Parts: sequence; C-alpha cells; structure tokens
Amino acid sequence: MTNRRQAVKASMYMSMKLLLADPQWLIPVIIAPFIFTLVALFLYRDVSGPILLYAVLGAGLMGMWGTTVYGSGSSVTTDRWNGTMEATLAAPIPLVWIVVGRVIWNTLIGLVNGAAILVIGVLWFRTGFSVTDPPLFALATVLTFLSLSSFGLVLSTVYVLSRKGGFISNSIEIPVYIATGTMFPVILLPLVVQPVSFAIGPTWGIDAIRVAALPGYTGIGTGYWLDLLVMLAATACYFALAFYLYVRVERLAKRNGTLEEY
Amino acid sequence: MERPGLRVRAAQAAQVFTSSIRFGRKGTVIWDSPDMIAMQIVILPLVQISFFAILAGYIGYTASGVQYIVVGNALQTMSYAAVFSVANITSSDKWQGTLPTLMVTPANRMALFVGRAFFQAGLASLMALVALGYSAALFGVSFARADVPGLLVAVVVTGLTMMSFGLLISSIGLYLRTAMIVANVFLFLTMLVSGVNFPVSALPGWLQAVGYAIPMTYGVEATRLAIAGASLGQMATALGEDVLSGAVVLALGYLLWEAFERLARRTGRFEEY
Repeated sequence: MTNRRQAVKASMYMSMKLLLADPQWLIPVIIAPFIFTLVALFLYRDVSGPILLYAVLGAGLMGMWGTTVYGSGSSVTTDRWNGTMEATLAAPIPLVWIVVGRVIWNTLIGLVNGAAILVIGVLWFRTGFSVTDPPLFALATVLTFLSLSSFGLVLSTVYVLSRKGGFISNSIEIPVYIATGTMFPVILLPLVVQPVSFAIGPTWGIDAIRVAALPGYTGIGTGYWLDLLVMLAATACYFALAFYLYVRVERLAKRNGTLEEY
Repeated sequence: MERPGLRVRAAQAAQVFTSSIRFGRKGTVIWDSPDMIAMQIVILPLVQISFFAILAGYIGYTASGVQYIVVGNALQTMSYAAVFSVANITSSDKWQGTLPTLMVTPANRMALFVGRAFFQAGLASLMALVALGYSAALFGVSFARADVPGLLVAVVVTGLTMMSFGLLISSIGLYLRTAMIVANVFLFLTMLVSGVNFPVSALPGWLQAVGYAIPMTYGVEATRLAIAGASLGQMATALGEDVLSGAVVLALGYLLWEAFERLARRTGRFEEY
C-alpha cells in the first residue's frame, strides 16, 4: 500500500515538474473550454437573471471537464512522444497507480482552470456570484472532482493501447460537454442520447452543483442528495472498471510488445 | 552548373507539388483508420453544430437565429483539417526527425510548402460540405434558394484560404518548439471572432480586428449569402476579401517559413528543444 501511495505521489510530483518545465502545454488544455465559454456567454449576452449564473457555472465545469479529458489523453500519449512508455510500463508498480497520480494532477489543474473561467465569466459578463448553499456547493464540487478523476482514468486506458490518444481526446471534448449538460439541460438532448448522459457520473455532479448554487433550480429533478448518491455509485463503478481494464491492458501491452509501434 | 530554364523549373515545381500532395495524404496517419475518418468527417461536425444549436435553442433564439449559428459552425468545422492539421505539419516533421532532410532538399519551396497541406484543404472542404448536409437534414436550414455553384465555390475557396492560414501557423511552428499550442488556439478562436456564432460587430473592437484578419470571417459571410440565394456576382465582395486575406496570410506564412529556415540553417538548431 505504501508503495502504491508513493507511486501516486511521485507521479503527481513528476506531472507538476513536467508542467513547470514546459508550461506552454497548459494552453491547449485550457483554450478549448475557455473559448467555448466565451462563445456561449456571448450567446447569452441579451439574457439576464439566474440563467446567466447557470451559464457561468456551466462554463467553469466545462473548464474542469476539458482539462480532465485532454489531460487523460496526454497522460499516456506524452510517454509515447518522450519515448518513456516502456520504462513506465516496466516500473515495479502496476501502471494504473502511475496513471492515477497523473489523472489526479490533471483534474486538480482542471479545478483551477474551472475556477479561473468562473471568475472571468463573472467579471466580464457581470453575472454576480451568489451561491444559495455554500457548504453543499463545496461538497458537490469536491465530489464531482473525484468523479471526473475516475472518468479520466477509464478514458486513459484507451490511450495506452491506441496511438491516436491526442486525436481521441480532441474528438470527445465537445460530446462530453453536450452529454453532461454543462450548458443546457440534458433533457433537451435526443432520447437516444439521454441514457448515455445519465450513465456519466459528472452529469449528476453538475446537477447537484447547480441545485446547491441556484435558487429554485430543480434540474434533473432528483434532488441534491440523490444526485450525489448516483454520482458516487457511478464513480465507484468507474474506478472498478478502470482498475480491471488496466490489469488487462497492461498484460496485453506487455504480451504484444507493440506499445510504440506506428 | 548552369541553372535550368524557366520551363524546366516550372515542371520540377509541378512534380514537387504533386508528390507533396501524395505525401501529405500518406503522412496523415489517421487516414489509415476508417474509425478515425468517421470521427473526423461524420462525428466532429455533428457534435459541434449540435452543441451550439441546442444551446441557442435553450437560450430562446428564434429558428433563423439558430440556423445562423448552424451554418456558421458547419463552415467552421473545416478548421480541424485546414488549421489544426496543416499547422502541425512542421511539428510532425520535428517529432519524426524528418525536418533536416526536408531542409536540405533542393525542391521548390513554395511547391513543397503548399503541396504538403493541399490534401487537408480538400478534406476541410469535404468536412464543411458534410456539415452543411447536417444543417439541412437535422437543423432545418433551407437550401431551396441556395446558389449551389456559388456555395461550392465559397466552401472550396475558404478551404484553401484557411489552409493558407494554417500554413502561416505552421511556419511559426518552425521557430517554436511545436506549433500545436498556437494551432489549438486558432482551431477554436474562429468560433469567437469570425462571425460563426454571432456577428463580428458584437465583439469588442480589438477582437473585431482579429476576426477581419482571418479568411474564415469572409468565408462564413459568403456561405450565408450563397445559401440565401445570392449569385456569384453578388458574393464577389465577400469572396474577394476571402481570397485576398488568404493570399496575404499565405505570403506572410511563406516569408516566415523562408526566414525561419535561414535562421535554422545559420544556427543549426533545426530540432532543438
């Protein structure tokens, strides 16, 4: 257990060092959610009232999401580019613990990014920021952070086997914004898409955040605590799935020996 | 050694150009995977249009307001190929270690410069046409009055001018460690500054200036005119501005490419990180 904790800590520390050594890589991570936010808020420019705070909250969540999705993709892809993939896989600790550290780090950056976008949205569009229930808002935000991490971990398994990690993470960024109701209620989505939305943990977290922040907001309609419960259940499933997949993927990668093959 | 005549040099440039197009296609790794082709041409345009169309509908935009946004985004989706992929050509050379080899070839630089990006211009136009198909089939945009030849011209011209814009960023990437950072910025920036989702006039003055420097702004205008039924003659101003801005960014990109190539040769820092 100590070894695993050390691996997670060391992996987070390494991610931080890599970012500090080459901070320009923060730009692609934050730029898409930032521009999407600006465009969305410009579309809201003739609207007033609580819906503006709804949009700004969604913008912050897009920032968190975008960083998690992009960061998960790059957490493994960067190893390929740097030629450190084999060395990482050969480390005497299961790969999943190394990736857990990276994903937690990326989600932390996402949290900062989300907060920055929130502040910019509030200041630029003068939406004001009054949260109905600050403790519940904080709790929902922290648990959504956890759920995003678990989702990022599941996504990252794909990137171990695929050389198209960057392309995939670019491609799924907008679908996750849509599916999780960052900017509009998921109920507006086509019926075939809604089950997918409800299977994504952060969809419920985003709803809980809004229930705690906006006066009179009902959202999905399940209420704050049930939202959190469903999200936590989904999060537990993601972690279990990610750990299972990593064992399989790591075995497959070692057996085939084609990790860096193009 | 005597320099070949103009005709020979033109023939050599044409040969470099065509082989560069072929190489541009072969170098596009994702084109070996049908799933990636589907993702780029079928899925990406659909999700981008859907995001903004549903958002606009939720805010309460009228049907025509939503369609304005749908058409703008349909054209903007070409940026994935014309801007992002083209801008990353230089970075790919750096990653794959092929940049020094490229630099020492005596091939015509302009033919090489444009040729390698040309495949992406075609792909960009195809993406925009698929996206416009979505706008008709799923988002209620009427093409009943559309001037089809004019529309095709607007899409293809914008594919080429945005490819030129991508080449400008690619040239900057020759100097930078990677063009991917700048490419990411400009992949999405046109959503904000080019009249894709709202008129350029809604932006602060300094952002309007950025918008008017990018060919996409004129391409979107020309496309909307064509869908509204304007003839090629009526689209001439928008198309002319599209071509002019494309020519300016291409020339600027080429000059930068040459300048950075000279710098790289002088300092021997082709691939320094």
